[in-house]
Amino acid sequence: MEAVVEKWRRLEEEARELRRKEADWKFIEAQPPRLRAALKFYVETGDLYVASRIAGLSVEEFNELRKRARIPNVC
Amino acid sequence: MSAELFAIADTCFLIDWSAWRRRDLLFRLFRVVFVPELILREVQSERTILWLSEGLAAGSLALFTETPDVLELAARVVERSRLLPMRGVDLPEAVCLAAGRLRGYTVLTENRGALAAAELLEELSGVRVWRSLELITEGFKRGLLSGSPAEVFAEYEVETGHRFPRRELEVVLRELGGEA
Repeated sequence: MEAVVEKWRRLEEEARELRRKEADWKFIEAQPPRLRAALKFYVETGDLYVASRIAGLSVEEFNELRKRARIPNVC
Repeated sequence: MSAELFAIADTCFLIDWSAWRRRDLLFRLFRVVFVPELILREVQSERTILWLSEGLAAGSLALFTETPDVLELAARVVERSRLLPMRGVDLPEAVCLAAGRLRGYTVLTENRGALAAAELLEELSGVRVWRSLELITEGFKRGLLSGSPAEVFAEYEVETGHRFPRRELEVVLRELGGEA
């Protein structure tokens, strides 16, 4: 169990680093507060559903915003 | 090789997959792909809605209405996943996982929380979860895709904005006999 948890932790951390590195931070910082918060949440967690709820958008609408912010969906 | 019977797909998988030129590979791998009502509500773009409605009309996609037993297990999966020291699962993905467990469907998702939950939660033992990485790999193995695997995976990334984990992609490419 611990080894599996550790594997997922490592994969999550690698994905988070990639999202942080490739995100267009200028675009993110230029967004209105709700969208900015949602995009930053997505960068940290990769959780599209919760990010879309924070943004007040559907999942697909938020996914388009994610693409414009150049945040990769790593999976 | 004949198609498997049933799969169930979540939103992040469907919206990515609908943008890919070879998206109908899905219907050659599975006879019917269920789309939960919860998930259909999250789709907005004309491209995705059109593809889904055509699939529903042709019978290759089918609406999955959440039943009380599925919702009960899904709620338990949400709770249990939140006790794990990692990203949890939200209700839409949990519905897919619960249907995978109770009905034997293959779960199609790009959600890491769902992948981790399927591996770690006793409630989900035996559930098969596939990402686009596994689907495309399966397409090559069954001879439904041809050409250079590396080019096909790269094409998927460009057309969908998805990113495959490099190490896992290298393993798959070696397995398929392509360049890593």
